[in-house]
Amino acid sequence: MSEITLTINGKQVKGKQGDTVLDICQANGIDVPTLCHFKGLTDVGACRLCLVEIEKERNLVPSCTYPARDGQVVSTSTPRLEKYRRLVLELLFTERNHLCAYCVATGDCELQSLAYKYQMDNTRYQYSWPTQTTDSSHPNIVLDHNRCILCGRCIRICDEITGAHALDFGKRGWKTNVCADINQPLGESSCISCGGCFQVCPTGAIFSKISAYRGRPSECTSVESTCAICGIGCDINGLVKNNRVVRIDSPDMTKPRGLLCEIGRFEPLYEAADRITTPLKRNNKGQLVSCSYEEALDAISKKLGASDGIAGLASAKASNEALKAFADLMDKFGSKMVDTIDGDDCRTVTQGIAKFDSKSGLGIEAKLEDILSADSIVVIGAHPTKTHPVIGSYIMRAASKNKAQLVVIDPLRNPFTFRASVWLKPPEGKKEIVVNALGKSILDKMPAKSAADKTKYAAAFKDIDIKKASKDLGMDIHDIVKAGEILAGSKTGVIIYGSGILQYKDAALVATILNLAALTGEKPRVISLKRYGNSRGAWDLGLAGAKSSLSADLAKGKVKGLYMLLVDDLADSQTLADSIKGVQFVVVQASYRSPVTEKADVVLPSLLWTESKGSYTSIDGISKKTVPLVKAKPEIKTDADTLKEVAGHLKK
Amino acid sequence: MAKVKVATIWLESCAGCHMSFLDVDEFIIDLSKLIEFRRSPITDIKDFTPVDVGIVEGSVGNEEEKEVLEELRHNCKILMALGDCACFGGVCAMRNTLDKEDVLKRAYIDTPSTYKGKIPVAPGVPSLLDKVYPANQIVKVDCYVPGCPPEPEAIKYGLTELLAGRIPVVPSNIMRFD
Repeated sequence: MSEITLTINGKQVKGKQGDTVLDICQANGIDVPTLCHFKGLTDVGACRLCLVEIEKERNLVPSCTYPARDGQVVSTSTPRLEKYRRLVLELLFTERNHLCAYCVATGDCELQSLAYKYQMDNTRYQYSWPTQTTDSSHPNIVLDHNRCILCGRCIRICDEITGAHALDFGKRGWKTNVCADINQPLGESSCISCGGCFQVCPTGAIFSKISAYRGRPSECTSVESTCAICGIGCDINGLVKNNRVVRIDSPDMTKPRGLLCEIGRFEPLYEAADRITTPLKRNNKGQLVSCSYEEALDAISKKLGASDGIAGLASAKASNEALKAFADLMDKFGSKMVDTIDGDDCRTVTQGIAKFDSKSGLGIEAKLEDILSADSIVVIGAHPTKTHPVIGSYIMRAASKNKAQLVVIDPLRNPFTFRASVWLKPPEGKKEIVVNALGKSILDKMPAKSAADKTKYAAAFKDIDIKKASKDLGMDIHDIVKAGEILAGSKTGVIIYGSGILQYKDAALVATILNLAALTGEKPRVISLKRYGNSRGAWDLGLAGAKSSLSADLAKGKVKGLYMLLVDDLADSQTLADSIKGVQFVVVQASYRSPVTEKADVVLPSLLWTESKGSYTSIDGISKKTVPLVKAKPEIKTDADTLKEVAGHLKK
Repeated sequence: MAKVKVATIWLESCAGCHMSFLDVDEFIIDLSKLIEFRRSPITDIKDFTPVDVGIVEGSVGNEEEKEVLEELRHNCKILMALGDCACFGGVCAMRNTLDKEDVLKRAYIDTPSTYKGKIPVAPGVPSLLDKVYPANQIVKVDCYVPGCPPEPEAIKYGLTELLAGRIPVVPSNIMRFD
């Protein structure tokens, strides 16, 4: 792009054709006040604070939307501009009920800071005192219209970055308000609770319930870390005060893996269950009582040190360091029965990949960013908006912004179905038939030349009879044909599948999905939604590599002693507790009390990811590190240290 | 030089601004050599005599407050609004989005601890205005020191500037609305 030269405040500055005047000012460190502008979002010129004077222009122009041109002479600070900026501020303050003394955002409010800057010590206009409502129907987010300046940042982030487009302007003129869906309470709307809106809100109009009044960002220390919950590895910025996480923000929401979701934003702010802070041991009466590390290690060494049939079960919520120490401990026990809680899922995925191409491993899977550049996306047996909401956002963004064609294969309605180009509703358990029929319909629509290149993958679908399949499925054949047409024309198609496929433990189905993916672009782009934050890391460490799953061994009664590295995993803990009933001696290393710890003979405390340093591998193989946001109780050891001590103690 | 005569009034507010005024610490000793308080909540003088500087704390929410403010304006050369209530309406203006009758009913009848409550209507009780107003919506105000309460530094700045014969505008770094 060609370079242009402007004169701003008497200084020659350079920029690119296509930049706005504001872009060039900011790039050159020239301060222009802004309110509705937010880096990474489309500019709308709503607030009029970034007005600048440009020579030979009839009016003052908003610099955020004004294209810079070669030779422009711009002034960003003149008495005329200052006068109008103060006027705009006074109008903003008096338009709604902006009284800082009882506002949640005071001290952290962009409107307030600008009022200070322009020394707005009174307003020349009467306050209009409109009767506005406060919507607190959402469990985590409050929408207070009294404080809204209608800058539209929340609406733009919701649409452009989160992809949900749950918020928009409702009504007209004086009555304009931010509203969710068709003016529904936020808590009952299609809001996906990502929290982007309150992070970008310049005033106190949208705020997080749990963070309110716990500390202003200016009083908090900000710690950059990574969210370790679901395996996407989003960057986070923890705001911490008095050793408590006040709020979790994104360092830059507009960057890849900068977007956060309901889980990452709010889960670490709540105590999930009763915390375990000391080792526990079962006494003669059968009660779990607090004891020293020494006593707990002795008990473990005595019972597990000299026993056969010891098994290990780890939750892939643990960090790579903890999982490595766990694997070493299991080696020391000489145990062959080692598995992760989601080991079955990982085995299904990898066996499927091996069937498709024996040489590649999990590395064959696509990167998450491929979703954003995809021209078609197939979502099958997955509910990313629930399990991996940021992937859900990527899909919605790809569909709405990049016009990716969406094919949803799911018997039930989900947030994607209404955006889908085709929604195929196979009856439960018949996903294989639909995948095969889809493969055949792609082949039918594919140009002969590309089909010839892909004979290897086409073989799987060659002999499928679509008519028969559609009859079996009770589906309209036209839907299958249409989906095939979309995917046949696709170059960068991505297929996303999850628990809806993995629950059948059918590696052949995974291989078929890979074959299907191979037909929808120059290489197969597939993403499997693994259940835990470090499922990929656990797999890489070989923890889920056993031939048979531990649940089978447990059911057969082969397990005599069991060491569980549970960390803060509370998912399905009742089922898990039931499955270990027959085991003679159970050690559980966990952060929280749960039905599983109640079954244990020895319990060792475990740190939370927000309290410890560790590395985690994202579902697409990127290694991310966590940094402690808060200090844990000093007596609790790190998971890796605890495991090493258990191993060290066995010698005696 | 004759001392500058000052009158302060405390309208609808919590008196926090007067407290913050006392928070200027030892500056109050220098100040006492330069100014002389006439009517103020501290002197408990109820009538007005002409003064140089009038300081109003609080917003205007009833007939009496309106009258007092108008009388102060009549008797002072320069009027300073002190604190958020006088500058913008402040916490008292919370009732402005509600109906006056509803507010009275809530305060005197609906509160859980009230038994057989009644809205007072005695002739001596000033009636509420329909809205709570900042001082500059009732009379002309010459300068403002906002804050809830204002920083002692800001109060000090405001008074020093006035004594120097200038109209103060509180600098950004010590201005606050909370």
